[in-house]
Amino acid sequence: MSDFAQHLINGVAAGTIYALVALGYTMVYGVLKLINFAHGDVMMVGTFLGYAVAQQLGYEHQSSLWGVLLIFLAAMAGCAVLGFVIERFAYRPLRDKPRLTALITAIGISFTLSYGFQLDFGPLPGAAPRAFPEVIAPREWLVVGDRAVVIWNWQVISLGIAIFLMVLLQGLVYRTRFGRAMRAVSFDHRTAALMGIPVDRIIALTFMLGSALAAGAGILYAIKDTAIQPLMGLYVGLKAFVAAVIGGIGNVPGAVVGGLLLGLVEEFVVGYSSSSWRDAVAFGFLIVVLLVRPGGLFGSVAAEKV
Amino acid sequence: MSGEVLLQAVQVGIEFGGLRALHGFDLEIRQGDLKGLIGPNGAGKTTAFNLLTGVYVPTHGEIRVCGERVNGRKPHQINRLGLARTFQNIRLFRALTALDNVRVACLSDERPLFTRERIAELRRRAAGRSPVASAMDALNNYVDWWRAILLTPGFQEEEREITRRAEELLRVMGLEHRRDEEARNLPYGEQRRLEIARALGTRPRVLLLDEPAAGMNTREKGDLMVLIRQLRDQFSLGLLVIEHDMKLVMGICEAITVLDHGVTIACGAPEGVRQDPKVIEAYLGDSYLAAHGLQVPARTPTSETPAP
Amino acid sequence: MPAWLRGIMPVVIAIAVLVVLQLLLGDLPFFVYLASIVGVNVILAVSLNIVNGMTGQFSIGHAGFMAVGAYTAGKLSLLIKDVAIAGLPGAVSDQVQFVGTLLAGGIAAAVCGFIVGLPSLRLRGDYLAIVTLGFGEIIRVVVQNLDTFGRALGLSGIPQTSSLFAVWFCVFLVVLVARRIVGSTHGRSLWAIREDEVAAEAMGVDTTSYKVRAFVISSFFAGVAGGLFAHFVPIINPGSFTFVKSIEVVVMVVLGGLGSTTGAIVAAIVLTLLPEALRSLFIQLGGLGAGASLAQKVDQIRMPIYGMLLVILMLVRPQGLFGTREIWDMMPRWIPRPRRVT
Repeated sequence: MSDFAQHLINGVAAGTIYALVALGYTMVYGVLKLINFAHGDVMMVGTFLGYAVAQQLGYEHQSSLWGVLLIFLAAMAGCAVLGFVIERFAYRPLRDKPRLTALITAIGISFTLSYGFQLDFGPLPGAAPRAFPEVIAPREWLVVGDRAVVIWNWQVISLGIAIFLMVLLQGLVYRTRFGRAMRAVSFDHRTAALMGIPVDRIIALTFMLGSALAAGAGILYAIKDTAIQPLMGLYVGLKAFVAAVIGGIGNVPGAVVGGLLLGLVEEFVVGYSSSSWRDAVAFGFLIVVLLVRPGGLFGSVAAEKV
Repeated sequence: MSGEVLLQAVQVGIEFGGLRALHGFDLEIRQGDLKGLIGPNGAGKTTAFNLLTGVYVPTHGEIRVCGERVNGRKPHQINRLGLARTFQNIRLFRALTALDNVRVACLSDERPLFTRERIAELRRRAAGRSPVASAMDALNNYVDWWRAILLTPGFQEEEREITRRAEELLRVMGLEHRRDEEARNLPYGEQRRLEIARALGTRPRVLLLDEPAAGMNTREKGDLMVLIRQLRDQFSLGLLVIEHDMKLVMGICEAITVLDHGVTIACGAPEGVRQDPKVIEAYLGDSYLAAHGLQVPARTPTSETPAP
Repeated sequence: MPAWLRGIMPVVIAIAVLVVLQLLLGDLPFFVYLASIVGVNVILAVSLNIVNGMTGQFSIGHAGFMAVGAYTAGKLSLLIKDVAIAGLPGAVSDQVQFVGTLLAGGIAAAVCGFIVGLPSLRLRGDYLAIVTLGFGEIIRVVVQNLDTFGRALGLSGIPQTSSLFAVWFCVFLVVLVARRIVGSTHGRSLWAIREDEVAAEAMGVDTTSYKVRAFVISSFFAGVAGGLFAHFVPIINPGSFTFVKSIEVVVMVVLGGLGSTTGAIVAAIVLTLLPEALRSLFIQLGGLGAGASLAQKVDQIRMPIYGMLLVILMLVRPQGLFGTREIWDMMPRWIPRPRRVT
C-alpha cells in the first residue's frame, strides 16, 4: 500500500514535468499545426543554460531564493529567444508549404541541437553527463510511518512551481487578449489575419511562451534527476509529445491530463516490473489510446472539407 | 425517359453537432435521367454529394445505389457499385499525367482470383460488412501486385487494356493531345474535362457533376451542355448536376431540386421551379418579391447572396 | 521479345553481372564490407521511399523493421548453424540456410509492418510518424530485455555467410520491385494517394488497403536488409537499430527526393560513403593520434550535420536532388528509355 502511494507521488511529480513540456507542444501545434520535434531539445538547452548560470553564481548563491529565481528566469528567457529564432528562420518560411516539409525541418533542428550539444568544442558541453547543482537542498518534507512514504521538499517545490506556471498559462490563454488571439490563429490563421490579428507576432509569441515553459520544465527535471546530458531532450521531448497526443493535440487541458497520466502509467509499470521497460511504456500507451480514440482523449478528428 | 433506378435517397439527413446541414432529402435518378440540384451557397448541395458518395455518413435516411443500401460504406466501395463524381474545387492528381489520372480510375475491373461479382454477392448478403469478402479482396490485391512485380504476360495485357480505355476516354473528352501532360499544366477548362474523363474511367452508371461549368465562358458552357447530353447517351448514364449557371441548368436538366439551408424547397420541371416564389425568395430575397408585387411565401430564413 | 521473357530478362542479366563482380572483387574484405554497408543502406532507402515517397506517408521507424529482420535471421542462423542439409556440399547448404533466414527475417518484418500499418495508416500523417517511431523504440526495448536476443550485448557468432553477390542481388531486387510497381497502374494509384487521398478514394482506390500494402512491402525489404546486415557484421545489438538509424534513412530519402528511386539510391551511396571516406582519410593522414580523434569527430559531427542538412534542404530545395524524377527522365531524348509496361 505504501509502495502504491509512493509510486503515486513519484508519478505525479514526473507527470507534471511531462505536462509542462506537453503544453508547449500543444500550444505550438494549435497555432501552427506543426509537431515541433525540436521542443524537447529546446528544453535541454534551457537546462544547460540554467546549469551555466548556476555555475556562475557559485555554490553559496545558487541555492538562495534569488539565485534559484535567476536560474529559472535566465533559462526561460534564453529559451524564449531560441524559440523565436527557430520559428523566424526555420518555420516561418515554410508556413504555407505542405506540413511534411515543416516536420522534416523540425526533425533537422532537433538533431542539430541535441547532437550539436554533444560535440566537444567551444561552448558546447560535450557528451558526458553532468550533475546539476543542488539548488534545493534535499530535505524530507513529509514522512509517513516508518519511512514507508517519503515526500521530499524539492518534489513539493517542483509541483508548486509547475502548478503555478500552468495556472499562469491558463489565465493567459483564456483571459487575455493575447490568449484570444492565439486561439483565433489556431482555428484559422488566414481569417485571423483578416480580422486584424498580427498573426506573425502571435505565432512568434506562442513559440517563445512554449519554449520558456519547456525551459522551466527542464530545470525542474534537472532538480529531480540531477544528471543532465545533451540527449535528454530527445527522450523527454518525445514522451511529452506522446502525452500531448494522448490528451488530444491542440487541446490545452488535454496536455496536462495526458502528461499526468503518462507520468503515472510510466511510474507504475516501471515500479512493478523493471526500469528497462521504461522507454517502451510511453509508446505502448500511445498506441493503445490511439487505437481506441484516434483523436486522443479530448481531441476530435477534424473532418476535411471535400 | 425512364430506365432502371440507379440512385435513391430517401429522407437523407446529416447533422454536424447541432447544425442540420441536410434534412429530409429525397432523390431518385434513373438511367437516362439528367437532373439538376441548385440552391444558394451553403444550401447543402455539396453536402448532399458527399453523403451520396460516402464521404459523410448520413445520420438519417437511406441511400441506395443500384438497389443496394450503402449507408456507412466507404467511398471506394460505393464507387465500385457504380457511382462516380467530380469535385467543386478540381481535385485532379496534379503531378500525374492526364493519361495516368484516367488510368488510376480505370484500374482493373478484372480480379485475378475471385471475381467482382462473387465478392459483391457476398457483400450484398452480409449487408456491406463481410470480412470474408474483404479477405478475398485483399488476397486479390496481393496477387495483383505479384503479377505487377513479375510482369506476367496476363498483367502486361491488362495494363495495355487499361491504357487503351484511358486513351479512349481522353479522346471522347477531346484531350488526347494532352495525354502525357501533367495535370497541373492543363488550362482550367481542360482540367474540368479531365475530371469528367477520370470519373468515367470507373465505369459508373450514375455520374454526379459538381459545378462542371464553373469558371467557363459562354462558348465553353455551350459546348459543355452538348457534351453532357452526349455522355449521358453514349455511356447510358443517369446524371445529377450541381450548377449555379441558371441558363445551363434550365437548358439541360429535365427535373430540378432546389435546396436552401439544407431543406428541399422545390422540386420538379424547370419552368415550374423557375417561377416558384420560394425559389425566387431564396435567391433574390423577399424585397425583390415585394418590389414585383409577388406574394411573399410562408416564413423561410433569409438567404445569403446568390451566386454569380 | 516474347512477353514472358520481358519479366525475367533483367533478373538474368543482373545475376550474370553480379557473378562476374563477385568473382573479381569478392576476395577483398574491406571492399566487400564497404559495399555491403552501402548495399544495405540502399535497400533501406529504396524501400522507405516506397512508403514515404511514392505513397506520401510519413514513417520514421524503419530501423525497427530492420531490427526485426536482423534478429530473426540472426537467431535462426545461430540455431541452425550446426545443421547441414543432407546431400548438399557444405558451402551450398550454408547459402541455402542463409537465404532461408533472410526470407524468414523479411517475412517477420512484413508481418510486423502489417500489424503496425493496419491501424495506424488510418491516422493523420503526423500521428503516423509518432506511431512508427514508437514502434521502432518498442522493438528496441523488447530486444534489449529478452535473453534470447542477448539483451544489450546482442547476438554474436552469427555465421558470416553474406557476400557481395547476396547483398547486391537484394539491392537489385528491391530496385526492380520498386520500378515495376511504380510503372504499373498500381504505382500510379499510390502516387494518386500521395497527391489527393480523397479524390483517389472517390475513384475507387481502396486507399487504406494500398497504403498497408506499400507499408508491408517496404517493411519486408527492411527486414531483408537487417538479415543481410546480421550476416556480415560480427555482432548485432540494439544500438545498431535506434531511431537515429531511422532518421538517417529518412535523410537519405529526403535528400534524394521523396518519390525518386534513383534519388534514394544516390543519396544512400553518398551519405554512406562520405563519412567512411572522411574517416579513412583522417586515419590515413594523421596516423593513430590526431588522425584517430579527427576520425572520431567525423562520427560525432555527422549527426548535427544531417540535422542542418535537413533544415537547409527544406528551406532551399525541398524536392531534394532528384525531386520525383528518375535517371532516365533526365537523359537527353535520343538515348532510348526503358519501355514502359504500357
